[in-house]
Amino acid sequence: MNLLESIRVALEGIMVSKLRSFLTTLGIVIGIAAVIAVVAIGQGGRAVLMSELEKIGTNIFAIYINWRSDKPVTGREFNLNDVAVIKDSIPDITHLSPSSQTMGDVRGTKDKKYSQITGVSSDYSYIRKINMKEGRFFTDEDDAGKRRVAVLDEDLAVQMFGRSQALGNKITLENTPFLVVGIIAKGDSALGFSENPSVYIPIQAWQVMFGEHIGMIEGSASAREKVDEAMGQAVKLLERRHHDPGKYAGQSMEQEMQTANRITGVMTIVIGTIAGISLFVGGIGVMNIMLVSVTERTREIGIRMALGARRRDILVQFLIEAVVLCLLGGLIGTALGIGGAYLIARIAKWPPLVSWWTALLAFVFSAAIGVVFGILPANKAARLNPIEALRRE
Amino acid sequence: MIRVTNLCKVYRTGAHQVTALADVNINVGPGEFVAIMGPSGSGKSTLLNLLGCLDIPTAGSYHLDGMEISGAGNAALAKIRNQKIGFVFQTFNLLPRISAVRNVELPMIYAGVAPRERARRAEEALARVGLAERMHHKPSELSGGQVQRVAIARALVNNPAIILADEPTGNLDTRSGEEIMAIFQELNRSGATIVIVTHERDIALHTSRILQFRDGRLLDDEPVADPLRALVNEAPGLAEQAGPASNSAAEAGPAGSSVEQSRLAGSITAEAGPAGSRAEQAGSSGNSAAEAEPAGDNAAGRGVAR
Ligand SMILES: Nc1ncnc2c1ncn2[C@@H]1O[C@H](COP(=O)(O)OP(=O)(O)OP(=O)(O)O)[C@@H](O)[C@H]1O
Ligand SMILES: [Mg+2]
Repeated sequence: MNLLESIRVALEGIMVSKLRSFLTTLGIVIGIAAVIAVVAIGQGGRAVLMSELEKIGTNIFAIYINWRSDKPVTGREFNLNDVAVIKDSIPDITHLSPSSQTMGDVRGTKDKKYSQITGVSSDYSYIRKINMKEGRFFTDEDDAGKRRVAVLDEDLAVQMFGRSQALGNKITLENTPFLVVGIIAKGDSALGFSENPSVYIPIQAWQVMFGEHIGMIEGSASAREKVDEAMGQAVKLLERRHHDPGKYAGQSMEQEMQTANRITGVMTIVIGTIAGISLFVGGIGVMNIMLVSVTERTREIGIRMALGARRRDILVQFLIEAVVLCLLGGLIGTALGIGGAYLIARIAKWPPLVSWWTALLAFVFSAAIGVVFGILPANKAARLNPIEALRRE
Repeated sequence: MIRVTNLCKVYRTGAHQVTALADVNINVGPGEFVAIMGPSGSGKSTLLNLLGCLDIPTAGSYHLDGMEISGAGNAALAKIRNQKIGFVFQTFNLLPRISAVRNVELPMIYAGVAPRERARRAEEALARVGLAERMHHKPSELSGGQVQRVAIARALVNNPAIILADEPTGNLDTRSGEEIMAIFQELNRSGATIVIVTHERDIALHTSRILQFRDGRLLDDEPVADPLRALVNEAPGLAEQAGPASNSAAEAGPAGSSVEQSRLAGSITAEAGPAGSRAEQAGSSGNSAAEAEPAGDNAAGRGVAR
């Protein structure tokens, strides 16, 4: 009996009890569907996270006070000279801005709010790739002249001024009026990455109002590959200038991305493993039913042997039956898994990344499950003696 | 065709030993139609299972169609069961969930016959037992007699050297039993060697030789002087062709018969009338047909397919 014939006989066996065959393979269906969906969702999620991080910028970094060191914070860790020197002496750093934040009363024509006020330099708009909706970001001249100009996040502008024109209007920060010169367009982050809406003012104007201290330094490097090195040099330089090793710490987007990558990778593996275990349990389910099926079909085996089936034919028949069952389950599971991945991706608004190799792997894996868990029942069937098998009811 | 010498079968169940067959010696020639009789438990089924290579003897030797069977391995036995033996069971043993024609195809699947050829031969075999119109029915949709006819079609579809039947009429009423015997007689007339087990003397009298068993031993070996003809006066199914044929049996010559026989072997019912009569003549007049063939034993039965 050739393979094609064996497959036909096995299919006949499967079709004879469709419901039972379906239930047998349900474990495989669910297992494969789970594996494919989990991997696809994990990959999709990771891709979204990465593209979000890339949107923010892959070459940016921040240097702040190392809160792991137990040295007291003096408020003089950063000064404007540091920023200028670092930018001058490290060529791979293209933009660098001090950044200080505080909360304060902000009042527009319509409303007032206790809100975030951030002092930065003009470089900040390049580092954060700020997109202006209206007007402009403030310039080095604004900064040097300590001009009272402000740039608002779009949300905040709407809140403070309503429908009336924010641009060109005065906004009052802690009772000091500032001229609104620009409005920052809202980002289109799929993950809803957005910081608190803030008012941005030139750092030197900020220092006049809130004090000399600078919270941290943000910057960007000429390329993604350069960022970690440039940041390291900047930290060293700061330590030297302030004679304070261990005081500063840097964090680059590159590191963030690697961390995010690792976390999503680990999560995919963990959930994937759980899904894999369900697949394994599904395989045991197939074996279980196949064993019952062999017992139930002892007479059939006897008849086939009496008609000239060799043990090999019986072995192959049951093995192929198990493999075909698992493959059918794998096929349905793949379809369900891909469907599930698309559905969830649609709800979560991220790309469904069903990689063809996951589907292929699932397919090969289900066939392997068929072989592994089919061999025991098939062997049991093949070992029967024809007359014994015929005698059994 | 069959040569059994000193055949023994002992069943061991725990501490008990049952000698089901003790020192049995039998010769069955080609083209013979033999009935095995005996009380319940006398070892009839045991013998038939051994002849059918479904079981292995404890001692003794068994030659079938010129081959030594005892000592053959599993795969060899499977092949012998497939090619040389057509077995008909009392309980039919059809696969319940597939159609009659698929059931008949089974032995050919294991013989490696191509699907189209297989279907053709299965249909032919079913036509031969008068079930042409019912071949796509499942066993559960057929009467007992019809199911047994499917089983017979399955037994003869690989053109075996010998057909073995264990109480083929045991589960049937008298009338269906007669129909089955008519088929066997027809097959025998066309050259098939047949051994059946039966309880009923009426059935046994349709054969040409009766072997009596008791307690696992062969007691008596009597020829049947004038075998009964099944369904002589009636003509349902296959008997339609068998009936008229028997009247003109004497007319055909041995030479013509052997030619006709080989040609006909595949489809008795398909070619009725004078052709059938000559085939029948060859079967009943000893082995004139077989002798004409160089191969000797019932070449006619297998002549077409091989
Ligand atoms: N598998 C077995 N294990 C043990 N003993 C067995 C087995 N099969 C048959 N026997 C014994 O062998 C003897 C012959 O049995 P067998 O079936 O050949 O009888 P039989 O002539 O066919 O009877 P019946 O007419 O009732 O079918 C009986 O005594 C029976 O009990
Ligand atoms: Mg019996």
